[in-house]
Amino acid sequence: MRIRTVETIFKKEMTDTLRDRRTLIFMLAVPIAAIPLLLIVISNLMTGQIEKEMERTSMVLVQGMEFLPDDLRGDLNGAESFTIEPDANSDLNDMIERVKSGEVDALMVVPRSFDKAIALESPTEIEIFYDEAEIRSGFAVDRLDSILASFRKATISARLQQHEISEDVIKPFDITSRNVASMKKVAGETLGAMLPYLIIIMCFMGAMYPAIDLAAGEKERGTLETLLVSPASRGEFVVGKYLVILSTGTVAALLSMVSLTFSLNYMASGIMKFTGEILSIDFDLATVILVFMIVLPLAGIFSAILLSVSIFARSFKEAQSYITALNMFIILPAFVSLLPGVELDYKIALIPVVNVSMIIKEAVSGSVQWNYVIATFVSTNVLAAALLYLAKKWFERESVLFRM
Amino acid sequence: MIQAKDLSKTFKDKKRGTVKAVDGISFECKAGEIFGLLGPNGAGKTTTLRMLSTSLKPTSGTAMINGVDVAEEPEKVRGQIGFLSGNTGLYGRLTAREMVTYFGKLYGMSASDIKLRIDKLFSMLDMQEFADGRNEKLSSGMKQKVSIARSVIHDPPIMVFDEPTTGLDVMSSRTIVQFIRKCRDDGKCVIFSTHIMSEATRLCDRIAIIHKGKIFADGAVDEILSRTGVDNLEDAFIKIVGE
Ligand SMILES: Nc1ncnc2c1ncn2[C@@H]1O[C@H](COP(=O)(O)OP(=O)(O)O)[C@@H](O)[C@H]1O
Ligand SMILES: [Mg+2]
Repeated sequence: MRIRTVETIFKKEMTDTLRDRRTLIFMLAVPIAAIPLLLIVISNLMTGQIEKEMERTSMVLVQGMEFLPDDLRGDLNGAESFTIEPDANSDLNDMIERVKSGEVDALMVVPRSFDKAIALESPTEIEIFYDEAEIRSGFAVDRLDSILASFRKATISARLQQHEISEDVIKPFDITSRNVASMKKVAGETLGAMLPYLIIIMCFMGAMYPAIDLAAGEKERGTLETLLVSPASRGEFVVGKYLVILSTGTVAALLSMVSLTFSLNYMASGIMKFTGEILSIDFDLATVILVFMIVLPLAGIFSAILLSVSIFARSFKEAQSYITALNMFIILPAFVSLLPGVELDYKIALIPVVNVSMIIKEAVSGSVQWNYVIATFVSTNVLAAALLYLAKKWFERESVLFRM
Repeated sequence: MIQAKDLSKTFKDKKRGTVKAVDGISFECKAGEIFGLLGPNGAGKTTTLRMLSTSLKPTSGTAMINGVDVAEEPEKVRGQIGFLSGNTGLYGRLTAREMVTYFGKLYGMSASDIKLRIDKLFSMLDMQEFADGRNEKLSSGMKQKVSIARSVIHDPPIMVFDEPTTGLDVMSSRTIVQFIRKCRDDGKCVIFSTHIMSEATRLCDRIAIIHKGKIFADGAVDEILSRTGVDNLEDAFIKIVGE
């Protein structure tokens, strides 16, 4: 293997590849623009929807309005976020139907003599019917809950006072749970779980078109034979082409890491402004370097496989259809980082793609376990090297190069 | 300069089982002559030429190219050969200059040698006008010239042409035919395959008639005609092959 020749091949293939519109789309446009744009549009649609629902006044149907104590009835009628529709006559089932059909957001059923039961301190119950599948129905219940809860609290205080009992009696102790996870870890576990999945897919896609063009494309154009009769060896062609594919895959992965972080954070800030705490992923240069170190051999695995599949195909189209089938084997293992409860161990650190997915997830949540990083790094590199060697052997087979 | 001795090639084909594409052929081709392999589709011409240019390994037999054995030192053989076939294409996104330079480097030439050679070839082929535009934009005649320049960038002593005019229009064919003659006049050893009898008659100093992987006759065109007692190659072919 002559370095000079590999360099010549690499330079030519890189120039050629960077002039290919399809490669540029998958290496630059999709990671930088398309995916983030998609996430931002989805997030805006979602937050827009939630905001709209929050501004809407809830329609609540009440059966037995007349049995509510005066102050509670007053609170309900006075609340701006409600439109209360009392209904004394309808059948309960008909009223439930109206909730189901979405005509009203919730139904509150007050039992006969509820007010008396409260006054007499005997147990009683208010039932609320709602539609879990509808956000606005959920909001209606939350609103009802908060009014009923404050009435309940006031009632308890009044009763305790009347019986001359201290409030402490019913509160033997408090429970306070304190979260020790850093915000970075929480963000990593939630948002960070999506990153590795998308980064790995982008890496594969970034490598895909160059691989098709650099091998199956040579057959289709009829340039393969001119290479084979030149003094450069098959191994030199494999390595030169491999390095180009490796580069585009890695560039796509790193670009998507940066752009996805921005867009996931944007998405999170949109959705989470309703729930209080805002999570965001943030990482430093060291994390980017770690991800680079671990994505590079993964891109190596992808490149060797893609190149081998591509040179086997007789045409561009054939290569495309093989690779579409191959896609599944990448998407599924990459998905593991999204599953809750999966933890890295030495076994997982040896499973290709899954290991890298888990390491990226840990890296962005700031809880790197170096022993697994090393295990993953070594196993991924060994596999990449083995596959590159096989690709070279594959390229030396006449039945592959001149497949009928 | 080319000596093929008992060359054979067998392919394993899924549908047809083992295929004897080339079956023990021997021939010789000297410097300054055009040697033609004449035979119908599937005769084994491409396979033979691929063995000579080392992209396929012979199953048995040998071929010496300028004194080097194709099986023993294929890399050394490749540097001696220029190759052009009817299906060889171009890199569409590169310019003619970039593409020919690339091949010059693959053949181990220095940057300055490549530059000199390109200047010479491009003016000889009248390519300066379109040498710096992308190949995909060129007409088929221009593309053919780029292929020609590519095949001789390293000024090889031996040229291998596999049905070079197949699928070309009249003008591009003419360019190729003129180029083949020029190679001979420059003293190169030219081997050339075709299924077109008239092309062989017109171009070749000597021919070999190949059919089903075997050579049935070889010699100068006139010799073959007088031996078979007919006045054209078509009839001679039928007579020799005996079908
Ligand atoms: N790579 C291959 N695999 C299997 N069979 C092949 C291969 N290449 C050529 N053949 C077979 O070998 C025979 C000779 O083919 P070829 O040398 O291409 O003939 P020609 O160039 O004279 O048309 C044909 O029967 C062809 O089908
Ligand atoms: Mg042929």
